Amino acid sequence: MANNSSNAGWTIFSYLISAMIFYGGLGWVIGHWTHIAVIFPIGMLVGIGIGVFGVIYRFGRQ
Amino acid sequence: MAADVIALAAIRCTETSAHLNSASHCGYPAPGYPSSFTYGPLFSVGSFTFNKPMLLAVICAAIVVAFFWAAFSRPKLVPRGAQNLGELGVLFVRDEILRPMMGKRGDGFLPFLVSLFFFIWVMNIMEIVPVAQFPANSEFAFPVALMVMVYGTYNFLGIRGQGFRGYFRNMVPSGVPAYILLILAPVEILQYIIIRPFTLAVRLFANMFAGHILLLVFTLATWYLASAGLGLLWSATSFVLTVVLTAFELLIQALQAYIFTILTAQYIGGALEPEH
Repeated sequence: MANNSSNAGWTIFSYLISAMIFYGGLGWVIGHWTHIAVIFPIGMLVGIGIGVFGVIYRFGRQ
Repeated sequence: MAADVIALAAIRCTETSAHLNSASHCGYPAPGYPSSFTYGPLFSVGSFTFNKPMLLAVICAAIVVAFFWAAFSRPKLVPRGAQNLGELGVLFVRDEILRPMMGKRGDGFLPFLVSLFFFIWVMNIMEIVPVAQFPANSEFAFPVALMVMVYGTYNFLGIRGQGFRGYFRNMVPSGVPAYILLILAPVEILQYIIIRPFTLAVRLFANMFAGHILLLVFTLATWYLASAGLGLLWSATSFVLTVVLTAFELLIQALQAYIFTILTAQYIGGALEPEH
């Protein structure tokens, strides 16, 4: 696929957001379930970490 | 007594009557949602009401159709007038948006991208056209309608080209250890299915929404502060900012149309040819 830098930029942007939303949402569900509210922000932070990791993993090697 | 004055002022205060130091004690009529984005019905058929943003969308579509009709209905080998301009626009979309994103094989989508780009651009330009002065894309439903069209197109093409299972399998990176796949696969799929269309629509909507409010703030301030006194200086400052921000919005309008179209090209290109 024809790739350029702005293309990758938008992909990375939505990648970071979706990682945060997915693991934040997972954290929220678990926190709601177990009545431990702090799991929600922890899930979001984990999501951000995974997002950064995923970006490095996918785009860092190019 | 004071309460009476405020109550009286509230009745008399409109965007056009409010003035600094005026006898009616009107405050600054700050623009905001929903007051600056709500229009009464122009006419209604049953429960369906037709309002100004809809009218603008119809007019913009008509403008784009009329322009390209005038440009290409009777094409000449040596282009003149409208055809010259039309060719410039089509070539811009082809060489700056379509070819870098999709390569030559995407040429079949040129009409789609050209109409998308020019429709959004003209819609956005309506923000600063006198009398119209409203970007229909600052109503969330308009970008969402455009997004649904793009979303449907690239998902359909992806599923047709790669098969239903293959389409989803190509979303996640291949050749990675299973534990990494387990962590990253949900993120990738969420990104393709929800985040992409959502950001596509929100980016256009939020830019036009903010632009409309930005222009309103300084336009209303120019009028509100205009008075025979020191207020005139502040009014003049607001006026200068209105002019500067109008020029700035002119840039943003073209930029947002460009970004929407280039992302559409990227998504369709990705559906035609999966990443590896």
